[in-house]
Amino acid sequence: MTLHPTDDLGALALGALDAEEARVVRAHVAGCESCGVELRALQEAAFAVAETAERDAPDRLRTKIVERARREGAPRRATSSFSGLFRRPVPLAIPLALAVLLAISLATYAGAQRDRDRYASALSGIAGARVIALAPTGEVPGVRGSLVIPVSGAAPYLILDLPAAPSGKTWEAWILRGETPLAAGITNDRGVTTLVLTAPLVSGDGVAVTLEPSGGVDRVTGAPVLAGKT
Amino acid sequence: MSRVAGGDADALGELYDHYGRVVFGLIYRMLGSPESAEEVAQNAFHSVWRQARAYRPERGSVRTWLLAIARNAAIDWQRSKGNRMGRETAIDETLMLVDERRVEDTVIASLRAQRVRAAVASLPREQREVLSLAFWSGLSQTEIASRTGAPLGTVKSRVRLGMARLREWLGDDEVRR
Repeated sequence: MTLHPTDDLGALALGALDAEEARVVRAHVAGCESCGVELRALQEAAFAVAETAERDAPDRLRTKIVERARREGAPRRATSSFSGLFRRPVPLAIPLALAVLLAISLATYAGAQRDRDRYASALSGIAGARVIALAPTGEVPGVRGSLVIPVSGAAPYLILDLPAAPSGKTWEAWILRGETPLAAGITNDRGVTTLVLTAPLVSGDGVAVTLEPSGGVDRVTGAPVLAGKT
Repeated sequence: MSRVAGGDADALGELYDHYGRVVFGLIYRMLGSPESAEEVAQNAFHSVWRQARAYRPERGSVRTWLLAIARNAAIDWQRSKGNRMGRETAIDETLMLVDERRVEDTVIASLRAQRVRAAVASLPREQREVLSLAFWSGLSQTEIASRTGAPLGTVKSRVRLGMARLREWLGDDEVRR
């Protein structure tokens, strides 16, 4: 019989669970339709409380927001998950053991360039998270990547070290669950970059990165260049 | 939202017209400063612009998605500035706001807000307190227990009962837009 974390859903909706509690409950909700429905209703109720605070903003604020959007141009493809928003931001602790393990593994992996390697620096700066190395498939030489799952319950993300995508192409992340891969965000960055996954991961999911047409696609067309499993 | 995700800045302006007051009000209540609220609200809508394609209607309403972004931006601002004073002010204002005596006195522009106020005011005071500390101040149940001196199990029970009551009153389609 499945045990549902019913008593904790209200606290999760409020962002009032501690980080580890939130991670456990969120992992259950990701795979439980009934708890997902209940959580969404609780979130709607929690954020309805904000109605009591409505207040006129300065007239200039609208102009600032719209002009800033115009300056920046069209938004990029999804880089943030919905469920990850219902968090309580907390400073991450620094688990020494994780830092040491990362330092050892990265020293081997990065070889002679380690001292100047931004990828290694990015990984070594991670604390309070589970880090899973993605394996290069050999499709594109020199790519590297790791999946980072924060214990705070924040959205998982990839740290990638990529060459420039060819003209008309973009790098796209996928979550592999069942038979249909889920599009999970794109990046056109080259070098070391981060990419926040747009859907929650559950235990056993795979993660992959492919080259796809610019703007990203909803169904995989390219061969994986990086792959790993949670 | 689809127009915003497609890069239509005018659509972002329309989104602001629809939700700007509640977003600004939420942030102002949390930070206690109009200048800070203006800065953080601008950043929150900028995040909406950048993340618009991540929005999934099956996971919740636009309003809740947007308010979650705004609340996170306010909490992050508090942390980055170490602005505890604003947070304390917000708590006091909130507790006063939901006191039963204020419900009928306050001029409320929308029927929805009246309904929310009534729902919050109907909660026992100890439940209102823990929900206020969690929602407006971003405190965890553990932190609330530490601050109020109540046992953690009691705090959890109050959160659970309070949220169940609010969900009963507000967690249906009537509060969604």
